[in-house]
Amino acid sequence: MLKILLPSILLLPSTWLISPKYLWTTTLSYSLLIASASLMWLAAPAETGWSFLNCLMASDPVSTPLLVLTCWLLPLMILASQNHLMLEPTNRQRTFISLLISLQIFLILAFSATELIMFYIMFEATLIPTLIIITRWGNQMERLNAGTYFLFYTLAGSLPLLIALLLLQNSTGTLSFFTIPYLPLTCSDPWAHKIWWTACLLAFLVKMPLYGAHLWLPKAHVEPPIAGSMVLAAVLLKLGGYGMMRILIILDPISKELSYPFIILALWGVIMTGSICLRQTDLKALIAYSSVSHMGLVAAAILIQTPWAFTGALILMIAHGLTSSALFCLANTNYERTHSRTMLLARGLQTLLPLTAVWWFIATLANLALPPLPNLMGELMIITSLFKWSMWTLILTGLGTLITAGYSLYMFLTTQHGPIPNHLISINPPHSREHLLLTLHLLPLLLLILKPELLWGWSA
Amino acid sequence: MAPPIYSALIISLGLGTTMTFASTHWYLAWMGIEINTLAIIPLMSQNHIPRATEASTKYFFAQATASATLLFASISNAFLTGEWDILQTPNTLTSSLITLALAMKIGLAPLHSWMPEVMQGLSLLNGLILSTWQKLAPLYLIYQIQPTNSNIFIILGLLSIIVGGWGGFNQVQLRKILAYSSIAHLGWMILIISFSPPLALLTILIYLLMTFSLFSSFMLTRATHINSLATTWAKIPILTMSTPLILLSLGGLPPLTGFMPKWLILQELTKQDLAPIATLAALSSLFSLYFYLRLSYAMTLTMPPNNPAGTLPWRLNQQHNTTLMALTTTSTICLLPVTPAITALLPL
Repeated sequence: MLKILLPSILLLPSTWLISPKYLWTTTLSYSLLIASASLMWLAAPAETGWSFLNCLMASDPVSTPLLVLTCWLLPLMILASQNHLMLEPTNRQRTFISLLISLQIFLILAFSATELIMFYIMFEATLIPTLIIITRWGNQMERLNAGTYFLFYTLAGSLPLLIALLLLQNSTGTLSFFTIPYLPLTCSDPWAHKIWWTACLLAFLVKMPLYGAHLWLPKAHVEPPIAGSMVLAAVLLKLGGYGMMRILIILDPISKELSYPFIILALWGVIMTGSICLRQTDLKALIAYSSVSHMGLVAAAILIQTPWAFTGALILMIAHGLTSSALFCLANTNYERTHSRTMLLARGLQTLLPLTAVWWFIATLANLALPPLPNLMGELMIITSLFKWSMWTLILTGLGTLITAGYSLYMFLTTQHGPIPNHLISINPPHSREHLLLTLHLLPLLLLILKPELLWGWSA
Repeated sequence: MAPPIYSALIISLGLGTTMTFASTHWYLAWMGIEINTLAIIPLMSQNHIPRATEASTKYFFAQATASATLLFASISNAFLTGEWDILQTPNTLTSSLITLALAMKIGLAPLHSWMPEVMQGLSLLNGLILSTWQKLAPLYLIYQIQPTNSNIFIILGLLSIIVGGWGGFNQVQLRKILAYSSIAHLGWMILIISFSPPLALLTILIYLLMTFSLFSSFMLTRATHINSLATTWAKIPILTMSTPLILLSLGGLPPLTGFMPKWLILQELTKQDLAPIATLAALSSLFSLYFYLRLSYAMTLTMPPNNPAGTLPWRLNQQHNTTLMALTTTSTICLLPVTPAITALLPL
């Protein structure tokens, strides 16, 4: 575990000491080295046990895919940010890269934490670098509001979680993931137990986000620069899912009744946000609402707690992370050329940028869960397990799948097909850097078709 | 101010607090507090501007009222129980009155109205002394009272956290914001003082560190208004990187040091079965985080419209001795992983 963490920490001094000429190439290559080294975690024995242990950090089949995704994302973020940061003074470039690296460090510590309070502190610690990325480097005035919404929604959910964890620590004496599943949990007062249950889950539901508490997400995904959107969509939302998976083990048996409203809200959110996507004009907002939609499915799946549901949730989290991040990178290619997020202003790109259109096509197909991509595997397992839980959910999930296909195709057709608008006089061709970026996003997704066991979590 | 007078006042300031720390008799404790008040009045009004005179007058009235109440309560306690010893103040009525008097001394809600007004009229250095040194003696006395009933402390604490947060919402003057921040942090201290006095000690020490760093940052750029924060990037760029971290630490965000006292206090409160109060305190501290965030926005995260790059202000080589400030700023940002060591040292 330290083999990956210490090099990530030491990336920070190297960012500040490298000469400006080699800054981007060096940080990119080192983070790629760390990302390749992190693949060793996937070679762990496929049991439900913990591996790569030390006192404070460990990886198990649920956290390993998320850890690898985190490490994989840093070189991608550096690659994506290079263009828009090139014109800034060197120290600001170094600060930006340091923020990305510190985010990676906190995320590695969060996903590999073996104790709930450590997980909580790292969960909260990811807020500060993200806040600074959103508000300092965002491009529009609304970024301040976005940062405030992001910080306060997450904190209002997570402070009750802190108190719930402290209460748990009082009654069980420890919060270590190794021992918590085996501890008996009694709570005398039924009302207090219900409030404690809600307090445990609220932070993660806001982070995922659950449909009712999702207002921070469109703002926080749209305003930051590309690296901020990527890390938010790909990994930070999954922190919520991961936390829920870890903590639901302790929350039985009242979860059976108490999770009903949240499951229904999540499924309703799938449809509502999907419908909003059909009417969006802002490309990044469309991808943001699509994230809410997919995460609604994940939230519903995690809440019903069956093995297939957990597996489906984990697969969908990883697949959605890669897909959503790829879509944000594609939206960024539009933004860098037209400096606008409005979809209608950049139509007919298949004629102008045919190679990028290939990436648009693959990413769109991934978003609408085309077989045999892991997106479909995840969604199918979730839909099946939800159907077993209650057959009426099939209406909501089926409708959700239909609407997802609808808005994904809407996004693709609006940006790629149709006539070129008259105001697009010159569009720069895609850089090889952008092609590399999208390859590194979509190739793992395609490769995961061949070995999905890596993502199956505890069912492996 | 002439050096002999200045040093006499500073020494009296130290003498007053030390007398209170060293005393076991209520008279001597009250005397120490009075010496403290009298010594700081000339320090506050030394530059003779009307606003400073107004501030020192208001401070004098508030502190005189509180001291008189304190004297009255301690004499009543001696009358009713025959005890002058501070550690033995068993009578509930008088110990509550003493607590309220001391609460007014340090500016806890609902006896906080004088704080923002007074802070606004002072220079930044005097404001620093007011928020840090002047709180020590009364807090020590509250610590020693050890009442049986913790209700008054919980009410004072919760009210202070809420008022400290809500009051600072609309402020643009930095000294008023710092006053409300002081009220909020003192609220956290009072909340825990009846359950775990060592934690209150920890809270005030960490608060001292954080406030010192923040005041020093403002003193370096002579910033007194949010607008003046906006030009920090042109004067001392490194400050634009460190001050938001100090502000977020004051707001209690992990992984910064300011999270440590809040975490430990919430832990102690949940151990005492006061989870709803803990939740209320934690959520109320989000109010203060809002205006700390606003200060960070003004300083670092937005670029103000100002003179174009060709006409930046001259950055002359100024003689700033920033050693102590560097130490406290580093402690404000990096001390959270040392929490186990600090909690081990706590039952001092």
